[in-house]
Amino acid sequence: MATIPLHRVNILTGTKSAAILETPEQFVKTIKKAQRPLIVLGAQLLQWSLDGKSALEYAVDISKAANFAICATGHLKGKLTELEVDPDCVYDAVEIVNALKDPDWKGVRGEGNHDLVVFFGIRSDFQEQCLSVLKHYAYKHLKTMTLDKYYFPNANFSLNNIRKDEKWKEFLDSLIKGLQSAG
Amino acid sequence: MKDKKEIKDLVKKLTKKEEEIRELIKAEDDWEPVGPTPMPEITDLRSWDMRLLKTYPPFYAPFCDLCCLCTYGKCDLTQGRRGACGLDISAQQGRIILLACLMGCSAHAAHAGHILEYLIDRHGPDKKIDMGTFIEVEAPNIRTVTGLKPETLGDLKHAIEYVYKEIAHLLDSTHFGQEGSALDYESKALHASMLDHVGMEVADIAQIVGFDFPTSVADTPLVEMGWGSIDKSKPVILVVGHNPATSTVVIDHLREKNLEDKVEVCGICCTALETTRYSDKAKVVGPLSRQLFFVRSGIADVIMTDEQCINTNMPEEATNVGSALIATLDKAMYGLEDASDMDTGEIIKRMTENKEHFAILEPDKAAEVAVEVAMKIAPQRKKELVTDEEAMKLAEQCTQCGICESVCPNLFSIGDGITALAKGDFEPLKELFNLCIGCGKCERECPQNVPIFKIMQVAAGTETWKVRAGRGAVMDTEIRKVGAPITLGTIPGVIAFVGCSNYPDIEDVADMVDEFARRKYIVVLTGCAAMVAGMKKDKDGKTVYEKYPPDFDAGGVINIGSCVSNAHISGAAIKIANIFASLPLRANYEVIADYVLNRVGACGVAWGAMSQKAASIGTGFNRLGIPVVLGPHSSKYRRLFLSRKEEDDWTVMDARKRELIDTAEPSPEHLAYVTETKEKAMVMIPKLCIRKNDTPQGRGIKLNHYISLYKKYMGGGLPEDLHLFIRRVADIPLIYRKEVMPYLEKIGWKQKEPAGLPTFIGTYPSKVSIDSVIH
Repeated sequence: MATIPLHRVNILTGTKSAAILETPEQFVKTIKKAQRPLIVLGAQLLQWSLDGKSALEYAVDISKAANFAICATGHLKGKLTELEVDPDCVYDAVEIVNALKDPDWKGVRGEGNHDLVVFFGIRSDFQEQCLSVLKHYAYKHLKTMTLDKYYFPNANFSLNNIRKDEKWKEFLDSLIKGLQSAG
Repeated sequence: MKDKKEIKDLVKKLTKKEEEIRELIKAEDDWEPVGPTPMPEITDLRSWDMRLLKTYPPFYAPFCDLCCLCTYGKCDLTQGRRGACGLDISAQQGRIILLACLMGCSAHAAHAGHILEYLIDRHGPDKKIDMGTFIEVEAPNIRTVTGLKPETLGDLKHAIEYVYKEIAHLLDSTHFGQEGSALDYESKALHASMLDHVGMEVADIAQIVGFDFPTSVADTPLVEMGWGSIDKSKPVILVVGHNPATSTVVIDHLREKNLEDKVEVCGICCTALETTRYSDKAKVVGPLSRQLFFVRSGIADVIMTDEQCINTNMPEEATNVGSALIATLDKAMYGLEDASDMDTGEIIKRMTENKEHFAILEPDKAAEVAVEVAMKIAPQRKKELVTDEEAMKLAEQCTQCGICESVCPNLFSIGDGITALAKGDFEPLKELFNLCIGCGKCERECPQNVPIFKIMQVAAGTETWKVRAGRGAVMDTEIRKVGAPITLGTIPGVIAFVGCSNYPDIEDVADMVDEFARRKYIVVLTGCAAMVAGMKKDKDGKTVYEKYPPDFDAGGVINIGSCVSNAHISGAAIKIANIFASLPLRANYEVIADYVLNRVGACGVAWGAMSQKAASIGTGFNRLGIPVVLGPHSSKYRRLFLSRKEEDDWTVMDARKRELIDTAEPSPEHLAYVTETKEKAMVMIPKLCIRKNDTPQGRGIKLNHYISLYKKYMGGGLPEDLHLFIRRVADIPLIYRKEVMPYLEKIGWKQKEPAGLPTFIGTYPSKVSIDSVIH
């Protein structure tokens, strides 16, 4: 039986759905294959907290460990600045997705378009629509991944729905360690 | 190759068609010369659309991988595949968008047609259109699109019949094996949505004239809003929907019987706004998102539905709480028996004794029945709002299974609030109530059958607010006063909050209105947005309607009216081109839209857009050159119009110098844009009010707001794209000059020549000459 997204508004009506990666190791392996990965961070990261550590701090740790180029969407920029992180770009979600569609775009670091785009923390219905754009219009030149605790059918790689925050925290901690170890 | 006779016949046919149009629009009346596109058909404004779509191409976010509209399908359209008919994923999105816009346009056009027929029946076709002392340009959309200057209700029929005809052609194009281009579908969607503004204008002019709604006045009454304002000791009639044909007759009936103070008439959605334009004793319950809450409270003795945005399960909802239901329009009859020809006494008997619901399509009869039934059943009404103690007890049934979050379109867990309430903590539920869009899915899906809506009555409270009654069109006198400051930029923008109540948070609109009115933008509102703007009070207990003046001037907050009153907002932009800039309107859409796009700093905000009507209203604004900011739910509309500011070509014609100028300035940057958060919207809205025509003083004012809002909501620093909007040093607001100049030097900014008279005309193939944009 196909996995159903936690938020039913995101149920897939179609044929191409995300591969569920079960372990942090699978995520690390996929991320490490990428030449020019980008992480797109959303405002939900300001709402979520895992055992006292904000989801934004997790996102920052992951980005540093993976050497992700960072795109801050929504009104995240100020909070990133407080964490002494200077994002590579500040775009809203639809603007970065619009650029990512273009295979000839130079990317946020001017090194060419990104080959892996990791979405983290945009409200799930909006994030699913952003992923849909890339699934349909950028499938030849990039892959997408999500780190939220929900299943996103329109991504290439997604977590399954995680009901318990402790499990999600465990995953994120392991992902950071895995990325750091992989160098 | 056609022979001479065929060509001759073709010419004759075209000429005859033109003659027919000239007759319909009374071309011989010389109030203005007839422009290039009287009653335009699908292709007449296509070149304008293609020019818009060059700078703002459609950005598609498919909601579905498939097409399932014919029996060749389902067809998989992923990864470049085409359907059996040949259509690709982009064209399919354009097709769905066109269908959505046609649904929206049809809803308003059918509303207009119905109300017009009803009012012509009451007043006759020769009833004069008089919009009051201060409005001479009575129908800017109709004048501009069709070339007709309507003088009577009968004249409005020509306009709406034109809309009907175009709808048929447009809908035809969505059939199997017709249009195959995404861009052409978008052009058609823009056409449908322009027609929507004509249809809305017909509807509201007819209503203003036929019902004597307020017009040529700013200071309309402040009316009561919120279910706390409803006197439950009286019989209560609830009107729901958009068409005031019956609700106004209810008021008439109560007045005739001297019962107006003895029966409460309240409304939800636009019928509420329309009814308060007719009687300031009517109450507004709230927007669409409060519909089910109020219905399920059982406070209404009689529910009268008309059309659009009504819960389609209303008979069952009414039965569940013992309310009587009357469906008053053919569009939504719910399978009920049509009692239009039944004896009134018989209907009343069956409704009161047998608890039956009926469709009654004859307004006088429906009104009489509603009043009689309400008065008979109200004394037996035993429905009380739930007490805190009862709510806590009911909340104990929640097992926190999480189903409610799964099915919530606004993605939140009401279960968290319910379980907190069970422990005596009411605050979380009150906060979550602000996020609730009122669809009722959580309660329907709850495996424990927790009566969530009943419990939420304790969060809904009995607070009351004020909303100003809708005032209809912006006055010509107001346009004369503000035309110059708007086009020069010294009034930093006109911001229109429109659309439905599918909000991330219901308080967002009031916050945005307050922010921009305080900054001396002109803020206009319609529909659900107009209601929710009043649903928040400041520390002095005032809503934005009590805090800001009702004038169409800097710092004004103006309730224009219902959904169909949106035509007065596009109409105001058109009137700026006409009254201030002296451009002729008559059948001159392309020139007017070009003027609005390049010189009128206006921006729409449909923060809770949900319906197909909202799609067509917004797309209609887009064709007229007005950008629209949408809330996050609107990504599900599937299509935006986005530029890529640094890559795109921002060349315009300087009409004065008659030369092309590469401005490198993305103004306005997008035409239809979705953002996730209120904070980001607060920054995007002022940016989308920037126009190439701004004077240095005006640009300085606009940039001052852009920078200060960026600092306030984005956490400091300067906007990343600020340099794109600075043409010369004089554009930089003085207060930020010390901070901005080093930034400009660092990035190697170079001064640019401002465009004197910016226009798209001359940058694309068009029948319109460059002379026509010079006034």
